[in-house]
Amino acid sequence: MTAIVTRQLAKHYPEVRALDGVSIALEEHRIHGLLGRNGAGKTTLMQLLTGQVFATSGSMQVLGASPVENAEVLAQTCFIQESQKYPDTFRAIDVLRIAAGAYPHWDQAFADQLIDEFRLPVKRAIKKLSRGQLSAIGIVIGLASRAPITFFDEPYLGLDAVARRMFYDRLLADFSEHPRTVVLSTHHIDEVANLLEHVVILDQGRVLLDADTDELHHAAIEVSGRAADVDAFLTGREVLDRTALGALATATLTARDGDERAAREAGLDVSPVSLQALFVHLTRASAAAAAATASVSATDVANH
Amino acid sequence: MRIRNVVQLHTVNKLQAFGWPLVFMILSLALVLIVGSLIVNVAAADEPGARESMRQGMLWNGAIFALLGPLIGFGFTAMGQYFPLALGLGLTRREFAAGTALVFAGNAAFYAVIIAIGKAIEVATGGFGIGIRFFDVVYTGTGAWWQTLIQTFLLILTVMLVGAAITTAFHRWGQSFLWVFWIALAAVVLAFVAAILLSEPFQDLAGAAAAMDWGWWMLVLAALGAVGATVWLALVRRAQAR
Repeated sequence: MTAIVTRQLAKHYPEVRALDGVSIALEEHRIHGLLGRNGAGKTTLMQLLTGQVFATSGSMQVLGASPVENAEVLAQTCFIQESQKYPDTFRAIDVLRIAAGAYPHWDQAFADQLIDEFRLPVKRAIKKLSRGQLSAIGIVIGLASRAPITFFDEPYLGLDAVARRMFYDRLLADFSEHPRTVVLSTHHIDEVANLLEHVVILDQGRVLLDADTDELHHAAIEVSGRAADVDAFLTGREVLDRTALGALATATLTARDGDERAAREAGLDVSPVSLQALFVHLTRASAAAAAATASVSATDVANH
Repeated sequence: MRIRNVVQLHTVNKLQAFGWPLVFMILSLALVLIVGSLIVNVAAADEPGARESMRQGMLWNGAIFALLGPLIGFGFTAMGQYFPLALGLGLTRREFAAGTALVFAGNAAFYAVIIAIGKAIEVATGGFGIGIRFFDVVYTGTGAWWQTLIQTFLLILTVMLVGAAITTAFHRWGQSFLWVFWIALAAVVLAFVAAILLSEPFQDLAGAAAAMDWGWWMLVLAALGAVGATVWLALVRRAQAR
């Protein structure tokens, strides 16, 4: 079953098109990665899907209905955002108590366990907590709420590597026991690559890639060798990136059937491309294409 | 409707919701009692009419705002600080508005009762034995205890609703709203002052308004509250997370 569907979803502000014609379908009971550079539209998309902001155009369905002012749907969703504001006078325990009442599937024992593990000082005023401790509040709520759809938007800002590892472990373990739909937005792509089953990459408010991670393992390859051999091999192929160092060159390209074998036969070294590297190459290629289009448009305008 | 969650959002920190306003009120009352004692027993001990003069002067004693002040701010913080968290926890705008309105009414009723009881004690004891006024002042009503109850309830509720409406408008239109608001308010005040100084018919009108019965004033207060509530509810339905 599809948990989330959007059709040509757009959110425009006076100065920027934060989201521009996004159409995606996210299957339920999977962990989806929502990736993109800063300002790509990830947070806006999650805010739209949780009814926090209103769409300019397009449509969306969460659990089969519009989430806008829909208490039935919103009670089934949990949105943990790094920019979440808390009242100045609150303590962490105040937020957790309210969350416990707001989410019907809340597991208090699990929440208590997470509070201990993340060493969250629940009785300290929120304004005195560090960035990492604020993130820990979100993580506790996001996991213990057991909401059928959970959005994590950069949930571990300020957390150290140990705490981040703990978050991944707890998420995966709890997800196995209580399957639900998780949408995870992060810049630590390599750290979460093994968690993700499906990835959507946004760039400048548009969908740049929408694919299962299984497909992506073979979506691109990196070849390296003598520059002349590399360039000869790249002819007629879709190149995402190329760097040269003296007589040697390395290139990343979109892989088609047989490319890996052909590269080896051409005397090149072949290696897989990580999700993070693929993300970097795709967004760079997209930026370069956008710049080229803008340059052509500017030239056209000048010629006229 | 998850109104209970919204009420919990506003009241989860008991010390903040109920403790501090009462502590401030008690401290303020203590201060007025000390000042009153000093005036009556030391500064004006030899003057026969001192106690009555002080009692008359204290009709305008604003010390009660140590309690009313934080409550006035409650309307602002409800929208500025609690609304983003409510949306973040998956509550709808409708649920937030209904729950918050209930909290406003509950707060207004709770503190109106506190003030009415305080006033009854103050009046019965002749100003706590030394002729001071703390609860029995013009802001909370100098009539019967039930009038104080109604007036204080309406005053607190109205100010909370208007405060919430202003904060929601600021939330939506930002700094430009505040400029327009303050300029419009200044223009109204200036026009009022000018009319009072320059127009005799307006002076008569203002005099008639000032002499209105208490009941009519309460209607004006209730109307202001209704306008604040209408504007607030209209704006909150389209308010977005920032």
